[in-house]
Amino acid sequence: MNDAGKTPPASCCRLRLFVAGSTLRSQRAIENLQRVCEAQAGQTIDLEVIDVYQRPELAVRYQVVAAPTLVKLSPAPVRRIIGDLSATDRVLHGLGLMPLAPGLP
Amino acid sequence: MTRGRQDATDKTGERFADLEARLRESEETLDAIRRNEIDALVVSGVADGPRVFTLEGADRTYRILVEQMQEGAVTLGQDGRVLYCNQFIASLLGDAPERVVGQKLQRYVLAEDAGRFARLLGEAGQTGARGELTLRSRDGRDVPVYLSLSLLHDDETAVLCGVLTDLTEQKLHLRELTEANARLTAEMAERGRVEDALRQAHKMEAVGQLTGGLAHDFNNLLTGIFGNLELLQARIAQGRIGEVDRYVTAARGAATRAAALTHRLLAFSRHQTLAPVPTNANRLVTGLEELIQRTVGPAIAVKTVLTGDLWPTLCDPNQLESALLNLSINARDAMPDGGSLTIGTANVRLDERAAGERDMAPGHYVTVCVSDTGTGMPPDVAARAFDPFFTTKPIDKGTGLGLSMIYGFARQSGGQVRIHSHMGSGTTVRLYLPRHAAEEASDSVHEVADGPFQAEAGQVVLVVDDDTAVLTLVSEVLGDLGYGTIEAGDGPSGLEIVDSDARIDLLITDVGLPGGMNGREVANAVRARRPGLKVLFITGYGENAAIGTGRPERGTDVLTKPFSVSALAAKVQAMLGDHLLPGMTIDGQAQQRGRCGPACPDP
Repeated sequence: MNDAGKTPPASCCRLRLFVAGSTLRSQRAIENLQRVCEAQAGQTIDLEVIDVYQRPELAVRYQVVAAPTLVKLSPAPVRRIIGDLSATDRVLHGLGLMPLAPGLP
Repeated sequence: MTRGRQDATDKTGERFADLEARLRESEETLDAIRRNEIDALVVSGVADGPRVFTLEGADRTYRILVEQMQEGAVTLGQDGRVLYCNQFIASLLGDAPERVVGQKLQRYVLAEDAGRFARLLGEAGQTGARGELTLRSRDGRDVPVYLSLSLLHDDETAVLCGVLTDLTEQKLHLRELTEANARLTAEMAERGRVEDALRQAHKMEAVGQLTGGLAHDFNNLLTGIFGNLELLQARIAQGRIGEVDRYVTAARGAATRAAALTHRLLAFSRHQTLAPVPTNANRLVTGLEELIQRTVGPAIAVKTVLTGDLWPTLCDPNQLESALLNLSINARDAMPDGGSLTIGTANVRLDERAAGERDMAPGHYVTVCVSDTGTGMPPDVAARAFDPFFTTKPIDKGTGLGLSMIYGFARQSGGQVRIHSHMGSGTTVRLYLPRHAAEEASDSVHEVADGPFQAEAGQVVLVVDDDTAVLTLVSEVLGDLGYGTIEAGDGPSGLEIVDSDARIDLLITDVGLPGGMNGREVANAVRARRPGLKVLFITGYGENAAIGTGRPERGTDVLTKPFSVSALAAKVQAMLGDHLLPGMTIDGQAQQRGRCGPACPDP
């Protein structure tokens, strides 16, 4: 969780998943995110899983108000996806990997 | 449309998309909260930093972890009152959790640990604390525990958070381990004792064999001496003076052999006094070849492989001879069905590494090696071959002293001895002796001057020995040679004489003396009073420890008992013969002839 001062390669996708301890929802969020990441062959993903109990100040810095929340720091723009990340479409859209079909929220 | 207007429109579009996305994020967050799809809320902007609010059920995992872990978890008020305890602590204390909570933990602490617990509580409020305690459960069991306490700031109050480890099993293991260790130590001591006893028994057995054999040899030699002396006496009584010479020669021969025997005996105890002289090992081997061939018998062919231009070495040639004979006998015993025995010599140079491997100093050495084509020995036997009393020979065949003696000789000469052996292909024993820079001694050096010799007028020798026979003998000999002598029976008497103004040119002292001073101490005391005075030690043992090192220091020399009259004369002559010594007075007044005992030190 050493978030500050890191300079990953430009093409890298920097993700921060904020969870609240080892709840069932936290586990699901981590598993769902893992699945999405694995499907992105060729993409370098820099992922950190942050426990808001342990690092509440990081939650504030990245404007996270609830856990679990996935924050995409780069590539810009910064985006947040709340929940256990089971809606794969929304996750992909949020990460800028696939446009959301018209009509969906 | 101009470029500027186009840019502005693009920016507005981007900003709009961003706002739209952020609005969507906010809506999604609100939806998630509304649908209870989150575990916790992070609230910022409060005075003491961000806070995390857990929603119902989100900390269930931790509850389960703390409740069910196999360590005690407890929260205490600052006075030690239990605010919470997990199941482990409750069962450790033999009480239901609801009966423990609300009680002070002190209630369960053993009386003698009350002070320690109070200290832990006090320290925990400051910095956190940890330590061992014994708790007593409701059913009367004493439970050793390790308690660590730390201060936990809650919203309003401060509580102590404790983790408690049951040490019962650890202590049990430790005790078992300690007991096992004690048992093992006792067993080792017992084994050591039994081994010592066995070793001692072996040693006594060997000493028994040795002394038995020696007594036999000595009796033979003494018979020779006695018989010849009796015959001598008889011939003198008969007035047949012309025949006495052969009896004297025979008695001297037997006595000389007895002296050689005691000398060899001292060698295995590594206390021999070596008489190192520059020696040509080639000449020595050649001279010994015939004797060796006769010793090993006709079934064994003796060969010598001698290196030309062999360096001289500095060692005691008699000891080298006996080492070679001993090795030849070992070789013979290893070849019961015959074979060949090779004695070789060589010059070797050992560098740091090679010398280190052999536990020697680097440098030049002469090697003398004895190889046989016999049975060889297994590595464990070869490893112990130099141990005193170690032997593989039958009870009545070997004492286990031969190689030990050779080892003692080699080490004392500044060399080494190594064994190379393979089962079935024979054994090679290699002696390393240090190279000597000068040429070997000429034969004349060995010869004692037998011709008439007269001392320089007035030279006086102080003789210290507790054995009257030796004292008398030495005085007689010195008197015959023309020296004055003063006798003393022990060290202190000798020193009284030295403290007087009596002329003394040489001190001859026994090493083992009664009266609280040994010969070494007497010599030191005398030389402190009369610096530079020469000292000749005479000793029945090769008492290197008393004399200092294997080689006598400057201005001193050693004569080993038994010695011949001519050897004594030659030593004294060599020490006094050529020049005046510091501390010597030549006033003629202190000249003495005849002898003076300890009672009349000052003539």
